[in-house]
Amino acid sequence: MQVTLKIFRFNPEVDKKWHYETYTLDAPETDRILDLLEKVKGHVDGTLSFRRSCAHGVCGSDALRINGRNQLACKTLVRDTGAKITVEPLLGLKVIKDLIVDMKPFFDNYKTVLPYFINDSPLPADGKERLQTIEQRARFDETTKCVLCAACTTSCPSFWGSETYLGPAAFVTAHRFIFDSRDEAASERLHILSETNGVARCHTVYNCTMACPREIQITKAIGEIKLAMITGKLD
Amino acid sequence: MGLNRNVSLNTGLQYKGREPMLTFVLHRIGGLGIVVFVGTHILSSFIGGQLGHAGNVVYESWIFQIIIFFCATFHAINGLRITILDLWPPLIEHQREAIWIEFAVFIPLYLIAVYVIIHTALGG
Ligand code: SF4
Ligand code: FES
Repeated sequence: MQVTLKIFRFNPEVDKKWHYETYTLDAPETDRILDLLEKVKGHVDGTLSFRRSCAHGVCGSDALRINGRNQLACKTLVRDTGAKITVEPLLGLKVIKDLIVDMKPFFDNYKTVLPYFINDSPLPADGKERLQTIEQRARFDETTKCVLCAACTTSCPSFWGSETYLGPAAFVTAHRFIFDSRDEAASERLHILSETNGVARCHTVYNCTMACPREIQITKAIGEIKLAMITGKLD
Repeated sequence: MGLNRNVSLNTGLQYKGREPMLTFVLHRIGGLGIVVFVGTHILSSFIGGQLGHAGNVVYESWIFQIIIFFCATFHAINGLRITILDLWPPLIEHQREAIWIEFAVFIPLYLIAVYVIIHTALGG
C-alpha cells in the first residue's frame, strides 16, 4: 500500500524553527514505522536522524509520537496506523535534531529515586544468594520490565508542565525496588517520592499506562506507592 | 543546545490519550467552572448594588446553571472515581470500565437535570 509519512524535521545548524516533511512510500501493512524511517533515511534523505538499536522493543531507544500518541516505532505496524502517518519527537524534552530529544532530564529524574539495589546487611550464612519466595518475587515482577523508553513520562501532562516532576518511569523503577523484599532502602525512596516533585503530582491521567510498550500498569504501581506512603505498609 | 519546546495547551490537548485524558481535561474545566461560579457569587454579594445584581442575574440564569451543573456534577463523580481507584490500587487495572461506569452515571443524571432546569425556566 501507499503511505504518506509526515516527519518532524529540525536541523539545529540551519533551522530556527522546526517544520514537517512529507514522504510518500510503498510499504506492506506489516512494515513497522521504524522500517519506514529506515527507508527514508536509506533511500531518500540520509540526514534524517532518529534513535534506534535493537528494533525489537527491548532497548527502548525509538519511542516517538506516532499519530499523536507515544509508541515504539519498532513495535507499531502500518496496519495499526493506517496510510497517513505523522511521526514527531517526544513531548516535553528539547529536540536535538529531527526525532532525537535530549533525554538528560529524564535520566536525572530516574537517578533521583536511587535506581539500584541497596542492602548493607551481611550476606546469608552460606555467603550466597539473598533468597526470596515466589510470591515475594511476583510482588514487583511487572515493574522489572521497564526498558526506559520515556514513552510514559513524556505523555504525562504533569511532566509537560515541569521537567523536574520525577515522572512515571522513575516511579516504576522506584516501585521495583521499594517492593523488593531484599532491598532495604524503601523508606528512603518513599521519602524522596513524597517531595513536591514526587507522586503527589500524579493526577491519574493514565496516559502513561496507555503509552507503555511493555504494558506495565504504571498508574497502578504509582497508586501502590501512594498507598504505601500513607499506610507505611509494603504488602 | 537543542530546540526548546514548551508544551503549549494546544499541543498538550492534541495528545491522543483517549477516554482517561478526556476525563482529566473535563475535570479541570469542571474545577474552573466551579471557581467561576463561586467567584461570581461572592463577588456579586460583595459588590452589591446594581452591578452586584447584574452578577446575580448571570449566575442565576438557566444557561449558566446548565453549565455549572455540568461542571459540578462531572467534577464530583470523576473525583469520586479517582478517589476510589486511589484507595484501592488493584482496581486501577479496570480503569477503563470505571470510566464507562462514570459516564453511565453522569450522562442520565445530567440529562435529567438539564430537562428539569429547562422545564422550570420555561415556566413549568
Ligand atoms: S514504564 Fe513503560 S513507557 Fe515508561 S519508560 Fe518503562 S517501558 Fe517505557
Ligand atoms: S529499537 Fe529498541 S526498542 Fe525499538
